[in-house]
Amino acid sequence: MSGPLLEVKGLKKSYGAIRAVGGVSFQVMPGEIFGVIGPNGSGKTTMFNSVLGQIEPDAGEIHLNGQNITGLSPLQLNQRGVGRTFQTLQVFGKMSVRDNLIVAAQEHRGTMWSRMFAPGDSGLGAKADELIDLFGIRHVADKPAGSLSYGQQKLVDIAMAFMSEPALVLLDEPCAGVNPSLVGGISTLLKQLNQQSGVGKRASSFVVIEHNMDFVMDLCHRIMVMVEGEVMAIGTPDEIRANKQVLAAYLGS
Amino acid sequence: MADFFQLLFSGLATGSIYALAALGFTLLWQASGTINFAQGEFVMLPAFAMLAFASFGMPMPLSFFLTIVLAIAVLGWAFKRGIVDPLFRYGMMQIVVATIGLSIAMRNGVRLTGAEAHPFPSLFADRIYNIAGVTVTQSDIGTLVLAMLLVIGTQAFLARTITGRAMQAVAQNTESASVLGINVPRMIFYTFAINAILACAAALLVTPVYLAKFDMGESLGTKAFFAAVIGGFNNSRGALLGGLIVGVGENLAAAYVSAAYKDAVALALFMVVILFKPQGLLGRKEERKV
Repeated sequence: MSGPLLEVKGLKKSYGAIRAVGGVSFQVMPGEIFGVIGPNGSGKTTMFNSVLGQIEPDAGEIHLNGQNITGLSPLQLNQRGVGRTFQTLQVFGKMSVRDNLIVAAQEHRGTMWSRMFAPGDSGLGAKADELIDLFGIRHVADKPAGSLSYGQQKLVDIAMAFMSEPALVLLDEPCAGVNPSLVGGISTLLKQLNQQSGVGKRASSFVVIEHNMDFVMDLCHRIMVMVEGEVMAIGTPDEIRANKQVLAAYLGS
Repeated sequence: MADFFQLLFSGLATGSIYALAALGFTLLWQASGTINFAQGEFVMLPAFAMLAFASFGMPMPLSFFLTIVLAIAVLGWAFKRGIVDPLFRYGMMQIVVATIGLSIAMRNGVRLTGAEAHPFPSLFADRIYNIAGVTVTQSDIGTLVLAMLLVIGTQAFLARTITGRAMQAVAQNTESASVLGINVPRMIFYTFAINAILACAAALLVTPVYLAKFDMGESLGTKAFFAAVIGGFNNSRGALLGGLIVGVGENLAAAYVSAAYKDAVALALFMVVILFKPQGLLGRKEERKV
């Protein structure tokens, strides 16, 4: 039995006098979908950005497959198989959907020189097509990503994170602003990607921040509840639903 | 009418050189938010470098190649590391002022070695062709063709290769690009390197006409800047269009209005565009966090 894929130990981050994350620890097992919930301002995104090397934590360690990755840059993390999506749309608006996907994995292919002079897609076209079909965006594949509807761009955004076949993907509010009719679709897609039905060879683990409770309870294997920068509870969806403290503090009556 | 076409053609040739320098402006702006007011001097220095290599008895193609290598190191890497990187977090205005200072330093640094104009060998033979009553020089044809090939080649590199698309990705969204594993500092360096290469090519084409002189870049840099604004600062095709418009406009104004007003054409067109279409002919409006 292998150890945790991701291990966060005693992560702390303050902005001046404001403590955003105050000593958060958790583990994500290989193949696990790990949900993070909590009210606005509970430190979820700060925790995310620290794990991803976008901000430097004040204290604590982050390990990936037992290796200390604290302080590595987003680029170095990407090379070690960590991907992410953003809360707000981050697609490259002027490029076609297909090119967005190809660019998303380009550093993982070929050499510096071959990428510079070989035209085409560096052999990433097939992978891009696979995800285009899986995400049901074939009909818009050649359109500029910026011309798509919000929901479609969100799908492109998620698909991009999976182009490099990452071992760990951090999804920041994949359902934010998405039409409710599409939410179920995103959930199904993520389950498929998690179980690797047709995409890639490795099982992917996800860490998902999301406010949509039905989505989180349905998708995630375990859930961490954060309140005011601290971990209030970690458990299966059923355990979280039954936790009186969580119900009182977060879910309300 | 033959006169008109003659003026048009030689205007296109001059304009294509402006386009090369203007393309550098738009590339640097899109990739790194830099406006380089030393762009004209970035053309002047390679001209002197080529002459220096040639004075050691090196053949012109070798001099050109060595100048490109030197330009990538100095006008690309050292310029980025020494001026743009340290000033970037203070804002664009600081970079603008620094590059104006750099242009003065480069101009007067070269002036120390002498203020006279040096002849520069042309790539093309001194031949004249007569096509349907229109007289064109081989130099005009050659300049236009070479400059166009370079602009089209740069465009193809950006649009077709994986690295080119990664550079576009960086220009469109730096944060997302870095999370997707794109090496952002390297992509930005490539842009500076391409700018340096284009400047060397512009030097090769323009110096036989302007002669190698310490202040040869002054009007070239300004006109290339106007051309980039006219065409659209955030559009590489706009740089081409702007360059050609300025080149042709100047030539026609010199012939039909007065040669004295030739250098005012770019400024006049620039003001009209700024007044009525500030994003430029092909550019699009953009918002930036300041």
